[in-house]
Amino acid sequence: MTEWFADNFVSILNGLAIGSLLFILAVGLSLVFGMMDVLNLGHGALYLIGAYVGFQFTGGISSWGGFLTALAVAAAFGLVAGLILSVATEPLVGRGHLDQALLTLGVALVVAEVISIIFGDDVQNVVAPPGLNESIQVFGNTYPAYRLALIGVGAVLAIVVWLVIEKSSLGALIRASVSDREMVSSVGVDNRKVKAGVFAFGSMLAALAGVLGGPVYGARTGLDETVLLLALVVIVIGGLGSVRGALIGSLVIGQVESLGRANLPEFASFMLFGALAVVLIVRPRGLFGSKVGAP
Amino acid sequence: MTQPVFSRRNALGLFGLAGLAATAGCGSSVGGGSSAGSSASGGGGAIKVGLVIPQDGVYTPLGVDMKNGWDLFLERHDGMLGGYEVETVIGDEGEGPDTGVPAIQGLIQRDNVDVLVGIVNSASALGAAEAVAAAKKVLVISNAGANAVTGDARNPYIWRASFNNAQAAFAMGEYLASQQPEGGVFLMAPDYAAGQETFVAFKASYEGGGGTIAGEALTPFGTTQDFQPFLSAIPGSGAGATFVFYSGGEAVSFVQQYAGFGLKDTVPLYGSGFLTEGSVLEAQGEAAVGIQTALHYSTEIDNPANTEFVEAYQKAYDVLPTCFAVQTWDAALVLDLALADAADLSGDAVSEALGGVGEISDSPRGAWTFDGQSPKHVEYLREVQEGDGGLINVVVEELGEYGQ
Repeated sequence: MTEWFADNFVSILNGLAIGSLLFILAVGLSLVFGMMDVLNLGHGALYLIGAYVGFQFTGGISSWGGFLTALAVAAAFGLVAGLILSVATEPLVGRGHLDQALLTLGVALVVAEVISIIFGDDVQNVVAPPGLNESIQVFGNTYPAYRLALIGVGAVLAIVVWLVIEKSSLGALIRASVSDREMVSSVGVDNRKVKAGVFAFGSMLAALAGVLGGPVYGARTGLDETVLLLALVVIVIGGLGSVRGALIGSLVIGQVESLGRANLPEFASFMLFGALAVVLIVRPRGLFGSKVGAP
Repeated sequence: MTQPVFSRRNALGLFGLAGLAATAGCGSSVGGGSSAGSSASGGGGAIKVGLVIPQDGVYTPLGVDMKNGWDLFLERHDGMLGGYEVETVIGDEGEGPDTGVPAIQGLIQRDNVDVLVGIVNSASALGAAEAVAAAKKVLVISNAGANAVTGDARNPYIWRASFNNAQAAFAMGEYLASQQPEGGVFLMAPDYAAGQETFVAFKASYEGGGGTIAGEALTPFGTTQDFQPFLSAIPGSGAGATFVFYSGGEAVSFVQQYAGFGLKDTVPLYGSGFLTEGSVLEAQGEAAVGIQTALHYSTEIDNPANTEFVEAYQKAYDVLPTCFAVQTWDAALVLDLALADAADLSGDAVSEALGGVGEISDSPRGAWTFDGQSPKHVEYLREVQEGDGGLINVVVEELGEYGQ
C-alpha cells in the first residue's frame, strides 16, 4: 500500500491541483444554475477572458506585479460580465433552460471570436510569478511549485465560499431565495438583486480561474469549450447548487483525470464520462444534489 | 456543448460567399473564363488557382503561414506560374473534412479553378481525393501528411509538396538506434492517424536498428490538457530518451510540462519537427531549449535558396518562415516548373507534367524529387537553441534522404 502510494504520489498531488482549479471554475456555475436556475453556457468564455487577461498582463515575463494586476483586472471583468449576463437572462426567467442556453452560448461565441480577433489564434503562454515559476522536490519527486500553490489557493477559496454560503446571513438569504422565491420577495427582498449578486460572484471566480489556470493550461482558442465541459461534468457529479458538491465533484474529477489516467492509460478517453455515467446511475441527482434547481 | 449549431465558421462562410460572388462577377464581365482561354501550351494564358487553407479554428496560424508562402512566391515571380498569369481564389478549409471537402467542391464547381493547392488536415485531404479525381483537377497538397493520401488512397490528381508523417519518425528512429540510449526509448503521441503512423514508422526503424521500446502512451487527441498522468510513467520505465509527436497547442503544453516535472534534465526529449516549429516554439520558451527534432526544413539550413527565401520572408512579414510556408512555396515552385511543360491546363496534362519535373533544385529545404507523388527529401536533425532574435532550430546534421 505504501509502495503504491509512493509510486502514485505525484499523480495524487496533481489530481488535487487540477481539482482545486476546477472547483474555482465550477462553483460559480453550480451556484448560478443550482440556486438561480440559470444555465450559463458563457461560463467557459469567462474563463477564457481570464486566461487572456493573464497573458496580456504577464506578457511572457514572470512577475508578481503583472500576475496580481491580471487577477484584479480579471476579477473586475468577471463581476461586470456577471452583472450583464444576469440582466440579459432576466427576461428569460421562466422560459426554460433552452432559451438561456441559446443566449449565453451566443454570448460565449461572440466573446471567443472577439478574443481570437484581438489576440490571434496562436497558443499563448502564461508564466507563473517568480518563486512559483520553478520545480521543487516533494518527497523525492520533482513537481512544479505553481501547482502546489494552486492547491493552497483552491483550499482557501473553498473555505471562504463555504463560510459565506452556509454560515453568513448573506448566504442564508441566497439559500432562502432558492427554496422559496415568493416568500423571500414577500418579506421585502428583491430577488433580482440576489441573483445578480450570485451571478457576478460566480463569474468573477470563473475569470479568476482563467488567470490562475494560465500557467497550467495556457491561453488558446477552444479552451473555453474544454473547460465548460469539465465544469458541467463536475457540477453534474457533485450535484447542482451545492458548494460541497462542487468541491467533491472537482476533487473526484481531478483524481479521475490524473490518477485514473496514470493507472489505466488505455481508458484515458473514456474515464471522464465513465465516472459521470457511474454517478448518474447510482445517484441521478449527483453526490450532493438538492431537489431544488434540478432540471 | 462543444459543437455549437451556429458556428463562427458559418458566418465567415457567408462573407466568403459574398466575396466570391463579387470575384466571379468581375471575371465574367471581363469575358471568357480562365480555363477557356488557356489551351495554348506553355503559357501566355491565365490560370485560376484555388488555395484551400484554414481561416478559422485551431489550424488558422498554419493557414496564415501557407498564404504567406504562396503570396511571396507569386510576388517574386511577377504573379506568374509557368508562364500563366495567376488568379488566386481562397477557400476556407476550417478544421476538418466537414468544412474542407465542401470548400474544395465549391472551388471546383463554383469558381471553376484549374488547380488546387493547400490542405492542412489529412482527413480533409483524403476526403478531397474523390472530389478532385471526379473533376479531374490537380491538387498539390502543401501540408497534410497522412501516408495514405499518396499511398493506398492515391489517384493521379493528388500530388504532395510537403512531407509524409512517417519520414521524420523513421529518420529519428534510425538516429536513436545509432545513439543507443541506455534503457531504450519511451514513445508518446496523440491518439489519431498522424500519431499512430508516427509510432509505426519510428518502431520500424528503431527496433529494426536494434533498439528497445521502454514504454509507450497514446494520449487522447484534443482533450488532453495535462500530460502528467502519462509523463509519470516515464521515470519508472527506465527509458534513456523520449520520442514524441505533438503539434500546436499540445506541443506547447507537452514541452512545458515535460520540463516542469523535471524530466527534461534526466530523460532527453526527441520529436518530430512540428514539436518545435513556428509559433509554438515562442510559447514554449525556455522549456524547449535542447530538444532535438527531425524535420525536412529549418530556417538555419545553409543553402542559397534558403538564405534568399528567409531574408525575403522576414522582410515581407517580419517573422521567421515555418515549414508550412516553405511547403506552400514549394507547391508554387513545382507548379511553376510543371505548368511550363504542360500541354494544357487539364488535370491530366498538369499531372503528367508534375511527373516529369525531376529534381526540384532550388527549394529552400534543399533539392528534392517526387517519389511517387510525395517528396523524397533530406531530413535534418535540429536542436533548439537561443538565437539572436529568440529561439531557433539549429541544424545539427543531415539524417539522409527519405521518400514515400
